[in-house]
Amino acid sequence: MIIEKTSPEVGGMGHSIKRKEDSRFIQGKGNYVDDVRLPGMVYGYMVRSPYAHARLKSVNTEKARQLPGVLAIITGEDLAKAGLAWMPTLFFDKQMVLATGKVLFQSQEVAFVVAEDQYTAADAAELVEVEYEELPVLVDPHRATAPDAPILRDDRDEKSNHIFHWEVGDKSATEKAFQSAPVKASIHAISQRCHPAPLETCGCVADFNKATDKLTVYLTSQAPHAHRTLFALVGGIPEQNIRVVSPDIGGGFGNKVPIYPGYVCAVVASLTLGVPVKWIETRSENLQSTGFARDYHMTAEIAADQSGKVKALRVKTLADHGAFNAAAQPTKFPAGLFSVCTGSYDFPNAFVEVDGVYTNKAPGGIAYRCSFRITEAVYLIERAMDVLASQLKVDSAELRRRNFIQPKQFPYKTPLGWTYDSGNYEGALDKALEMVGYSQLRKEQEEKRKKGELMGIGISSFTEAVGAGPAHTFDIAGIKMFDSAEIRIHPTGKAICRMGTKSQGQGHETTYAQIVAQELGIPASDVVVEEGDTDTAPYGLGTYASRSTPTSGAATAIAARKIRDKAKKIAAHLLECSEADLDWETGKFFVKGAPSKAKTIQEIAFAAYTNIPAGLEAGLEAVDYYDPPNLTFPFGTYVCVVDIDKGTGEVKVRRFVAVDDCGNVINPMIVEGQIHGGLTEGFAIAFMQLIDYDENGNVQGGSFMDYLIPTAVETPHWETGSTCTPSPHHPFGAKGVGESPNVGSPAAFVNAVVDALSHLGVKHIDMPITPWKVWNALKEKGVVS
Amino acid sequence: MAIRIEKTFQVQQPAGVVWIFLSDPRKVVTCVPGARITEQVDENNYKGSISVKVGPSVTDYNGEVRIVRSDPKNYEIEILGKGLDVRGRGSASMKMSGKLRALDEGRTEVTSVSELTVVGVLAQMGARVITEVSSVMFGEFTKNLEKRLAARADSPGSATDEAPKALNAGSLAWEAAKGIFRRES
Repeated sequence: MIIEKTSPEVGGMGHSIKRKEDSRFIQGKGNYVDDVRLPGMVYGYMVRSPYAHARLKSVNTEKARQLPGVLAIITGEDLAKAGLAWMPTLFFDKQMVLATGKVLFQSQEVAFVVAEDQYTAADAAELVEVEYEELPVLVDPHRATAPDAPILRDDRDEKSNHIFHWEVGDKSATEKAFQSAPVKASIHAISQRCHPAPLETCGCVADFNKATDKLTVYLTSQAPHAHRTLFALVGGIPEQNIRVVSPDIGGGFGNKVPIYPGYVCAVVASLTLGVPVKWIETRSENLQSTGFARDYHMTAEIAADQSGKVKALRVKTLADHGAFNAAAQPTKFPAGLFSVCTGSYDFPNAFVEVDGVYTNKAPGGIAYRCSFRITEAVYLIERAMDVLASQLKVDSAELRRRNFIQPKQFPYKTPLGWTYDSGNYEGALDKALEMVGYSQLRKEQEEKRKKGELMGIGISSFTEAVGAGPAHTFDIAGIKMFDSAEIRIHPTGKAICRMGTKSQGQGHETTYAQIVAQELGIPASDVVVEEGDTDTAPYGLGTYASRSTPTSGAATAIAARKIRDKAKKIAAHLLECSEADLDWETGKFFVKGAPSKAKTIQEIAFAAYTNIPAGLEAGLEAVDYYDPPNLTFPFGTYVCVVDIDKGTGEVKVRRFVAVDDCGNVINPMIVEGQIHGGLTEGFAIAFMQLIDYDENGNVQGGSFMDYLIPTAVETPHWETGSTCTPSPHHPFGAKGVGESPNVGSPAAFVNAVVDALSHLGVKHIDMPITPWKVWNALKEKGVVS
Repeated sequence: MAIRIEKTFQVQQPAGVVWIFLSDPRKVVTCVPGARITEQVDENNYKGSISVKVGPSVTDYNGEVRIVRSDPKNYEIEILGKGLDVRGRGSASMKMSGKLRALDEGRTEVTSVSELTVVGVLAQMGARVITEVSSVMFGEFTKNLEKRLAARADSPGSATDEAPKALNAGSLAWEAAKGIFRRES
């Protein structure tokens, strides 16, 4: 599928036009939720539990109520009277809005204070006296089902900390393949608990108008429509009376998909007081209580023959979900899309098991810049392939090459039930190896090893699965995962586009406009894109899992084509010919063989309101709800080169080459920006980030003092490249891309570090790979004393 | 958050004098920055409070001190302290074992092993801060103890228990920060 490039003035697909939204962002004139200031607005503040597990003996709000300026204090008991003490999570569980009975994680929400200003609210929160009785704490997920483990959820009928067992694949065929395989390689790897830590924390302004009965919620929401429906279903407010507005969002990365107790409390407070209530999280509240990611404790085994050709994959995973299973993922997939863990390789057999458990930690796990647990899956298979290569003493690039799914095998059905749309894995690998100068680097490594210097090269040849639906397989809380676009062409030929998705920094205002430009020839600069207001935008499931381009992007193209079909009728009327006599070229219809007899899209738009053919409706607009026939499967190869300082254990990333294939590209500059951002986050996960808990359940990564964010100083230089293998089923051959770098890169970093140390006998180091861990590994191997 | 602190130091007083002081929580508390005994329940049980300020975070603990074991013959003592943050933001407990050894020239070596468990907001500061803060507090304690014992020797009459001095919180945070820096540099 080749996309014909428009002129730069039109700015269709493939043009690196500057991001429209940036003009307000770089001037500091974005409109984020904390910028929303309404007349009479008051402020909420959350009282949180200091304990990871404790019985709640009493909540005394007397002193706090007496503080001047305090308007209301809501406790769990208050909510219980209204049946709102618990709310459903996105994954068949329920979660306490405000604690009743007991608390299950440190920083859990206990009471909500409302005051005239945020300082009074915070002061009053300090005056709320809560009496706890400490209970035994469960931190280690491996102990969750031990006989002596405390049962955390006494609200459940099932008196166990086990949440679910999920398995997929052919168990007996996999066992058989393992029995007869001459080579077996295995790895135990932890994809550690981390947090998306968006620049802007979560928050809302709930505004209930008693005169109109309308509730408007300004919300940091990646899925405003889904949230409106959930507010209606859970809160019993008629859906036509709820308007959710997602203003500008400062990063989401999955963190802004769930509904959090703070939102519910702000809504309840506004309903009670009849004034707008603002609640904005602090940084520590965000890190300690909102959706974490990962926390998968995984074992992978590969069966192979002597040449390294893989025969089977067996995976066993323990998933730590914290106190409530608040995973945000499609309902048929308790472990998300983790079963894409056969990756880019032609495994004849595979079997995967995942068990989820409760612990005294914050609830989650959300899809942090990945399509539902794919980062975990890719990390595991890419580490396991390196272990196999090392065991067989085969070069890790060569081992991958021997096992890649070949281009002619697409559409390729994996043993775990996925159908990959298209791919050319060797093409991306070759390009990356060439860019990095692989063979030269291997020679250098050999020489350095002779001198006792530590250098490593890590490869990750990942496959992502993004763009959920299709609706028959994917839904969130029952709502099918289609998405939408509505395009209206104004009489003067300009357009407005409204979407079911919601940008959090992805550049939608630019990229959707470019799709319209490509399809209709209306310059991208003439197209306004609007998202996030449920009163105006068509229904959609929102932006996460790299789904905007695969779903709403497709809907935009289809809606534009519907408009073009109508435009053709109008053009035929204006040119006094039949539709069959017309041909389209970017921006105009012309009479076949007589290019001068043409009508531009702008002329046609004007006619749609001023000179309508008989029997045709006025106006020029269309809406499309797009249900994709399949996911899209972007891929790529990343190569990382590291040098390690033996004295300090510090890892320096010398080179990082990222070759991505996301099919046809809408805006290369935006794609490159996405790759840079995702690689930087992947780098942070590999080397810096962990939400840790001590044995009493105290959060040890609850502020930016302990949860580290890479700055320009730490961030390596990224070298990007691309190949192009369009998706055969997407209207313009695109695949999602925003998450690929976060999904693909952690394994490349870790593989590089382990490669640097492999000749010393180091087989694996769990993330985050801190200098301390590396230094200890060196010490253990006698390299340093 | 569990931290184990082992300290050995010497004081210029004979073991017998030191023991009389160290085996009496009412006296010991006068050396602990920010701490006070509010009530003696019985021979071995006391009620008290301690205020700990780390940077902007002040934590006031109310709790109990219990002498679990006291062996005057061997100069050994085991004390258990438990406290709840008065604003419900966490708890702390400490098990301390102390032992005296008589040295020549009337000096005494004091050895103590303390196991401190902190739960709640303070514990989120992480082991590196809590350990440093504890270490600084212990340093202050030792200094105060020496001063008190010396004062006692000079003029026994004036050794009534004066009110505990408020902890110099600013310097505490600063000392802790310096401690971290020293260790990592």
